[in-house]
Amino acid sequence: MSIAIGRWLREPLLQFLLTGLLLFVGYHWANHGSGQPDSDGRIELTADDLRQIRFAWLAQGREALSPEQMRRLVDARVREEILYREALALGLDKDDTIVRRRMAQKMEFLFEDVAALRDPTADELRAWFEKNAERFTLPARATFRHLYFSPDRRGERARDDAARALAKLAGEPADGPAAATLADPFMFQDYYGDRSFDEVARSLGPGFARALFELAPGAWSGPIESGYGWHLVWVDSITPARVQAFEDVEADVRREWIEGQRAEIREGAFEAMRARYEVVLPKDLDAADLANLRATEVERPEGPR
Amino acid sequence: MPNNMNLHRNIFFKDCGKVPAMPFSALDSKHPVDLWSWMDGQRKAGNDLLAISHNANLSDGRMFPTEVDTNGRPIDAAYAASRVRNEPLIEIKQLKGTSETHPLLSPNDEFANFEILSVLLGNPPGRIAHVVGSYARQALKDGIALEDSKGFNPYRFGFGAASDSHNTAVPYRQDNFFGGHSFTDGTIEARMSGTLVGGMFDARLEGTSGLTGVWAEENTRASLFEAMKRKETFAVTGPHIQVRFFGGWEYGPDLVKQKDWVRTGYAKGVPMGGDLPPAKAKAPTFMVWAVKDPTSGNLDRIQVVKGWTMSGQGFEKIYDVVWAGDRKPDKWTGVVPPIGSTVDVENATYTNTIGAVELKTVWTDPEFDPSLHAFYYARVLEIPTPRWTTLQAKQLGIAPPDVVAPTVQERAWSSPIWHTPSAEARKAAPRSTTVAELTQKGAVALNDAQLKALIVEKSIWLQNTVTGDKYMIIYGALGKGPDAKPLTPSDPGYVTQRFPVNQGQFQIRYVGKKVAMQSLTGDTVEASYLGTSRTYNIVDGKIVTELVGTPIEISVYKLADKYFGARSNEFGYANFEIVPAVAQLSPLGAAPR
Repeated sequence: MSIAIGRWLREPLLQFLLTGLLLFVGYHWANHGSGQPDSDGRIELTADDLRQIRFAWLAQGREALSPEQMRRLVDARVREEILYREALALGLDKDDTIVRRRMAQKMEFLFEDVAALRDPTADELRAWFEKNAERFTLPARATFRHLYFSPDRRGERARDDAARALAKLAGEPADGPAAATLADPFMFQDYYGDRSFDEVARSLGPGFARALFELAPGAWSGPIESGYGWHLVWVDSITPARVQAFEDVEADVRREWIEGQRAEIREGAFEAMRARYEVVLPKDLDAADLANLRATEVERPEGPR
Repeated sequence: MPNNMNLHRNIFFKDCGKVPAMPFSALDSKHPVDLWSWMDGQRKAGNDLLAISHNANLSDGRMFPTEVDTNGRPIDAAYAASRVRNEPLIEIKQLKGTSETHPLLSPNDEFANFEILSVLLGNPPGRIAHVVGSYARQALKDGIALEDSKGFNPYRFGFGAASDSHNTAVPYRQDNFFGGHSFTDGTIEARMSGTLVGGMFDARLEGTSGLTGVWAEENTRASLFEAMKRKETFAVTGPHIQVRFFGGWEYGPDLVKQKDWVRTGYAKGVPMGGDLPPAKAKAPTFMVWAVKDPTSGNLDRIQVVKGWTMSGQGFEKIYDVVWAGDRKPDKWTGVVPPIGSTVDVENATYTNTIGAVELKTVWTDPEFDPSLHAFYYARVLEIPTPRWTTLQAKQLGIAPPDVVAPTVQERAWSSPIWHTPSAEARKAAPRSTTVAELTQKGAVALNDAQLKALIVEKSIWLQNTVTGDKYMIIYGALGKGPDAKPLTPSDPGYVTQRFPVNQGQFQIRYVGKKVAMQSLTGDTVEASYLGTSRTYNIVDGKIVTELVGTPIEISVYKLADKYFGARSNEFGYANFEIVPAVAQLSPLGAAPR
């Protein structure tokens, strides 16, 4: 029985409805007696309402309100209230894109609030990590040195020069004396330690990065083209991509779990609502002829800044 | 944005932990000086911050004023101090145009015509955007002219560039340009249809977003902030071109070839954004280095842009200092010919078979005068590559747009380095006369009638007493009003009699490319060659001309039998004298010009 209730309590829709109810009751209670729509043609601003007006003003970093300014703000508030009520009475909230969007957005916010209600248990979190471990992969990293063959100095010969130098370097160690004399000075580093694909791509271009991670360590290889010219490369080591230990990424796992939970609840709650509706559409969605409806761009009154 | 003049600033805080509860907004004030006061207050409260001016090219000439601020208060030492304290950087390039310079401000700069966008935000009907006061190079020149003539310089700034994207993503590459204004330019069809963004400019004129480079000790917020504050920054049009620029007196010609040249750069001089130390040699030397973006076009050349001032006039000159390939600079002008182009416009492709990966050199100013205020900055140009409009036209199978160039030369700008003459050196500066000095000697300003008698329907030879250059101005007939007698078509006044009262046309003649024209004269070489004219009026004792709607007034003073002219943008100097007609413009055997 208790298991059944427990499962039932974890149902997203129920959680959602309970929270909604709570918010509704709380909101109603908190706003009782303030200048909200009322059917009797009476608008009453309470001391708290006035306090809120003052506070909103001060929160913008301004000087305290003068009595005259206060009077004008109160007038504006009353004006807004009257117009709002009259607009409601005329049904101006119906079929208004902005109002609809805003209401739908408020529902999405409600979903989000529900999702933040619960923290995962340690077991839950670890189990979830096991299932989603690949999300916490560290990228492969390469440590390498290179010799640069500059098209500025060698023009079209740069590639061939690099190839010839490679032949001379056969069997040579990475820091052998021959290496230094064959190539051109490079503008940046001759040695790159522990770089990810993205870091290499940023420094030398994506083509170079792709070729680099295919190389076998411990020998001169190439020529490889970068965004700057041709290179011979000696890879010291390539650390393959690896999944991190749970303990090292627990905070990230928790964040992702909550985010996942949020999406699940949002979609679950929405699906439950969706189930109560029958949606009727034309058979062929593409059949409508929009050719003549193609809108011309409308000038916006206020331009970009 | 008072009256559609874009005066926005981006504010950067040193410490995220200390930002104020609310930003200072246009609701608080529309005047930049008030923003700076607020920033001073923040700084006093321990919250260091800096401002970067945004989109000067859309400021309607109000970003870099020389006379009054937006409150109508004079630009003075207090204004300059407040601005320099708070605003070390300006945005030189972004999606809505470039703010470096404009072809009418820099007529001898063949690369000035780059991503120009001269409009007003909100497109107020009946208003033409002002060019004067909207561009950085002019402001730098005006700044040193103000410093020389009045003792303060509001325009000591470095360069940055930014996105101005309104999409939260930055379209900084030609090959991935996705617009910057949500739905108005968010699809290739919307962009390439020439949608008028906000009803004010053709989406095809949008350029790629710029980026700011910062040379800092380490990649931390505090270190980057300090580097921005000291202006050790550069701007790029999108590609990650890297540029370094050092100035000093002791850099040897081969220094740049040494491995630790950057260390020496700092040890023996100043990096970009700095001031040259006191002179130790006849002329300063500059080390400049640039490397291409590994995923973009090769480099064409590096130029040094120099500005200087004499007697209230601003001048500029561009030197090609290092370039790709074996091109020979022109024997007489030193200008390096264009690099050519590998762009296939029809297929929207290019190759890196021309240009260089890396360019570096040590350059000495060959025309240095230690008595003059000057600034120097480096400009790096890529080889031509297809503009995004060309790439997207190819994608759509349509012709590249006729409203923009099919190719661009992407570029980078280093922040300037300034030379301030020592008090001793400044005494030797060539100096022309001031209005105050003339009046003291008894010179009298001409009134309207005297001005008319002196110049109207006359061809006047003038000498710029600062440069020594002489040229002619033809002042055509002024409109005489409705009761002028009807003229026959053979009468010269048959056309001009229909001008409004006191308005005529003037034409400048005999200006060649080597004449160092001072600031705000427009393209006088082209005018001389094409015979174009501009409007002038005689009003309230002044000859009133204009440059894209900004009035430039000339007062004329008579001293004995001599006439001196003072232009309103030359800070109190009277730099022109009426001289006898010249018979030969370039007599053989005379000292070469």
